[in-house]
Amino acid sequence: MKISLAFAGSLLLFVLPLRASSLTWENLEADLHPAITDKEAVAHFKYKNTGDQPVRITAVKPSCGCTTAAPPNEPVAPGASGEITATFHIGDRIGMQTKTIHVTTDEPGSNTTLTLKADVPKLLEINPTFLYWSKVQPVTPRVILAKVGGDFAVTKLEVSSSDSDVKVETSADPKDKTQFTITVTPKKTNRPLNAMLKIQPDFPKDTPKMFYANVRVDAHPENAPASSPAASPAATPAATP
Amino acid sequence: MRGVLRQAVLLIGLAFLPAIGQALYFRGNPAVLAKPADAHEVTLAEAKGWGQSVLWLDARPHEEFDSGHVPGALSLNEDDWNGLLPAVLATWKPAGKVVVYCSRKSCNASHGVAERLRNEAGLKNVYVLPGGWEEWEENAHR
Amino acid sequence: MRIVRLILALLVGAVFLYAGALKVMDPLRFASDISNYALLSWSLGVRLAFYLPWLEIILGLALIFQRLFAGAIVLTGGLILLFVGATIWARAQGIDVSCGCFGTVSSNLTLTWHLVLNGGLFLALGALWFLRPVAA
Repeated sequence: MKISLAFAGSLLLFVLPLRASSLTWENLEADLHPAITDKEAVAHFKYKNTGDQPVRITAVKPSCGCTTAAPPNEPVAPGASGEITATFHIGDRIGMQTKTIHVTTDEPGSNTTLTLKADVPKLLEINPTFLYWSKVQPVTPRVILAKVGGDFAVTKLEVSSSDSDVKVETSADPKDKTQFTITVTPKKTNRPLNAMLKIQPDFPKDTPKMFYANVRVDAHPENAPASSPAASPAATPAATP
Repeated sequence: MRGVLRQAVLLIGLAFLPAIGQALYFRGNPAVLAKPADAHEVTLAEAKGWGQSVLWLDARPHEEFDSGHVPGALSLNEDDWNGLLPAVLATWKPAGKVVVYCSRKSCNASHGVAERLRNEAGLKNVYVLPGGWEEWEENAHR
Repeated sequence: MRIVRLILALLVGAVFLYAGALKVMDPLRFASDISNYALLSWSLGVRLAFYLPWLEIILGLALIFQRLFAGAIVLTGGLILLFVGATIWARAQGIDVSCGCFGTVSSNLTLTWHLVLNGGLFLALGALWFLRPVAA
């Protein structure tokens, strides 16, 4: 008997959180598929007041700074409906993004969590996005791979370096058409180099999207005073103080 | 009623047998001894103990960064990843440690930033301060 | 009545067997899921991660074969309450956790579905309690 009582009691636990709100949501989750060129993705969460009392939405709290939601100022009348709009600023995010929005009303215990999912397409996957030569590492050429994601029609990459002492060379993989190789060769090591590589695919045609990689070379002390552009790492020991 | 209790205890006991067996099989596995994510999470005291060798990164949106951040911290968030990353990489010390934080325990921007630094930029020694800016501030006033 | 009992017991038992089996294969992943709840220390969580899946499997089997039946019903119900409590607690703390109940499979389960599923299981267990063969 005691067990039956305990069971009935604990069943209440399930009913309590579900009893809650008279705001009925059409969807608690929004799956967004922004296009490559989209700067933001907008989700709509529609609700209806199915209770017999007006309900005021007291707070709409996005889990992160990147989603903003506009709550209505007036209480929602019985039978009335409306929507919460959440704008997700894509920024430089890539891949699957999940954000939650907590909605609170003036009804006690009526928290609702809305979920916004946005699958930001990966046009190019650059790996690694950072090349680093320490002051003791020999400055040999290194390679960055750029892989085209999905079925995007990228046929060519334009790669430029912000520092003319960092040479870049791009080649398409002969076997795998969706992959490009960017070979990076620092030409001077007598001063610290911080270069940014701009990687621009030829897709989408009219609104090009830029990708970046970074190169850092710490000054190699043995070459520090060298001034001849042709100086090779081992050629100028006499110049060091 | 007694019978139910006896059965429950018996079931609880029965489950221990394979569990202990499996635990023995995993014994000595280093992943069991420490939380795997722990390798990437750091307490505030520990991070402060690292002193000057730490590069603090603020993963919050830039308005929040502007209104206050850990002294010396650089801003790096995914809103403007490409724009902010170069300054971070130019400042980064290869032998040092990187600690990323966001607003509070429930935010996960810091984990996202730390992951991209590890996976895309290939940095090592990237840690997350789980308590975030909230924890830092609480301790600053103490 | 016996057929209803059989079906319900099979259903709930299978869910628990499935949930347990998924987690038993990767106890370390489950341990990290547990630690996401920030309720237990790692050393306690990892012990639980080795134990809980096996308990679920044993309970699943007990329900399916209707052995130690009454005990299994009560324990399973208790476990469900525990899980729901932990999920709600985590959500109230603002911790965004995938519940970890079904290993990697559950990462897309929303809180509502979670409650509905657990509520359904709990109802089924309640029914089983009243349908259980008392003589046994």
